[in-house]
Amino acid sequence: MQGILRIENASKSFQAPEGGVIRALDNVSLTVAHNEFLTLLGPSGCGKTTLLRAVSGFEDLDSGEIYIDGQPVSDQPAHKRPVNTVFQRYALFPHLTVERNVAYSLEVRGIAKAEIRERVGNMLELVGLAGMGARKIGQLSGGQQQRVALARSLVAQPKILLLDEPLSALDKNLRHKMQQELKILQHELGISFIFVTHDQEEALVMSDRIAVLNGGTIQQLDAPEELYRRPGNEFVARFIGESNLLDATVVSVEGASCDVVLTDGTVIRDCPVNGLKQGDPAKVLIRPENLVESVGQSSADERAGHEISGTVSESFFAGTDYHLVLACQGLPPVRASLRAGPGTSHHTIGEQTSLFVPHDAVHLIPERGAPA
Amino acid sequence: MSKARRTLENRRRLTLFGLLLPPSAFLAIFFLGPLAIMIVYSWLTPGLYGGVEWKFFHLNYGRILGWADTKYERFDPVYFEIFLRSVKLAATTVLLSLILCYPVAFWVSRMPEKRKNLVIFLITLPFFISLIVRLFAWVLILRPTGFFNQALMGLGLIDEPLEIIFTGTAVVIGMVYVFVPFMFLPLYASIEKLDLSLIEASQDLGANRIQTFFRVILPMTLPGIVGGSIIVFIPSLGNFIGPSLLGGAKVVMIGNLIEQQFLSARNWPFGAALGMMVMAAVLVLLLYYIRIVTREERQADGPNVAEEVAA
Repeated sequence: MQGILRIENASKSFQAPEGGVIRALDNVSLTVAHNEFLTLLGPSGCGKTTLLRAVSGFEDLDSGEIYIDGQPVSDQPAHKRPVNTVFQRYALFPHLTVERNVAYSLEVRGIAKAEIRERVGNMLELVGLAGMGARKIGQLSGGQQQRVALARSLVAQPKILLLDEPLSALDKNLRHKMQQELKILQHELGISFIFVTHDQEEALVMSDRIAVLNGGTIQQLDAPEELYRRPGNEFVARFIGESNLLDATVVSVEGASCDVVLTDGTVIRDCPVNGLKQGDPAKVLIRPENLVESVGQSSADERAGHEISGTVSESFFAGTDYHLVLACQGLPPVRASLRAGPGTSHHTIGEQTSLFVPHDAVHLIPERGAPA
Repeated sequence: MSKARRTLENRRRLTLFGLLLPPSAFLAIFFLGPLAIMIVYSWLTPGLYGGVEWKFFHLNYGRILGWADTKYERFDPVYFEIFLRSVKLAATTVLLSLILCYPVAFWVSRMPEKRKNLVIFLITLPFFISLIVRLFAWVLILRPTGFFNQALMGLGLIDEPLEIIFTGTAVVIGMVYVFVPFMFLPLYASIEKLDLSLIEASQDLGANRIQTFFRVILPMTLPGIVGGSIIVFIPSLGNFIGPSLLGGAKVVMIGNLIEQQFLSARNWPFGAALGMMVMAAVLVLLLYYIRIVTREERQADGPNVAEEVAA
């Protein structure tokens, strides 16, 4: 795929202050398509910001190459690269007005005044700040500053827009609003966005694809739904969404499905096989919201091989859901979120209960290497 | 309002009054008082043997600015020239110490915390030694048989000792040396505050190093530059120890002139008028500085209150 951005075998190490070496990027390869919204997601220190800074030109790679629109950019300084960044704390110029902030990249390129005025005006309108051009940065709210930062980065029509956790300083409601606006803006402009965040929910909502990073490597690069439903390893499964991860062994394989046995002897039938063979160890991923109450599921026959039983050890009501924790002999606690519909009722602590595991709710993660 | 609360309020007012009275009184007596005396004296007739005669006399200023006592002397712009020369010298001192300190302040501001504090301590270290001693050391360094000339001659770079001591150059060297810490500290304060991400943002938006310097770094550190410049300019302008030690008799500065008027010529009103000239120059500069700083603060402030209310 000849994308707008291609990163090949990027590696970067830092000297840790306590001595020793931190591998911020470990042989990372990545291609971003035209008009794609790609998110780099990971905990702090996973290398996502280093990767972004390598693309913008503020960090030199130890090895590897970055191609923007087919051109290698390693020897291009930051100010010559056709990418712009929205910084985490916006980094707006406090000594300039909104208008001059947005016009900055055009002014340094020596573009004619009339054209600058027009493009800045259009851009301010696009981000919803029309008529605010004369304000000082200090007079703006956080959300408005965010929009100025966006306008300033977009006005030069970069080939890629890099966003370094730009929403982390906003309060929750504003953040949700900006998430939608950003997505719409990206769609309208047709520019590729690379978005860095540690907030998985934000990543899921906005992205076309998400690259989950940890320890300087890409753990998985996939569409949000794929990532959520079929995480490639334990780290991704734990990092994205709530998860029950249970140790299991494959006991029999039948075409595309298999049966597994959990450590307490419970058998779960008809799991998607995911390349596993008989006898392989695996992690069984069951999302808490995919578990349902056994009561109401037709017959005991149908339920057989799709049930986890235990004692309720925690139970609370959270509006849309009942949250349960089930203590099962020989298993780690199993969490469940049961939709608070007409059929569901509150479970009391100490109660014996069974939870039904729909066959498409199970995902098997092959065990290989040390868990992250 | 309850009685208890009123008592509390009164007591607080009394405390505040008690705390503020001594410094206010001190300033009024020892600062405003002499200043008022200077202002009044500058408009009085010089006494025959020193002191003043209580008669209005505008020629103190006239002698400096362009109208002289036609009975005894012709107007000679010599005093004004000395004043201008002092301004020039002070400006040179400011410029040189600025050029010296600006890059160093950047360098120090990027140091690890521990080393930073050490360097700042070292920069203020010369204050522990008397100014006269330090300036006299420069006499020893700069004189024809001093270290500087001997070193250059030893290296074969010059045949004759350079004539530095007792020239304007020596005065500037000495004053730059003395005032560098005054320039450094305000510069450092504003450079240390400079958000590095702004520099990155500028580069990210396509500005090269030079554009980034003039469009972001310089305007952002301007308060420090102006502050340091004024703090150096003011004492440089009135300084008389530096010029008298390093400039000898040849380089008379306004500071020396004022000193002479009070101590040897015993023409107090004229000395006071000269002092007023220096003060006027300084006041103009300070007003300019206040304008720049308040502009800066308005930018740094949150949403404009007046605007909020109007909206």
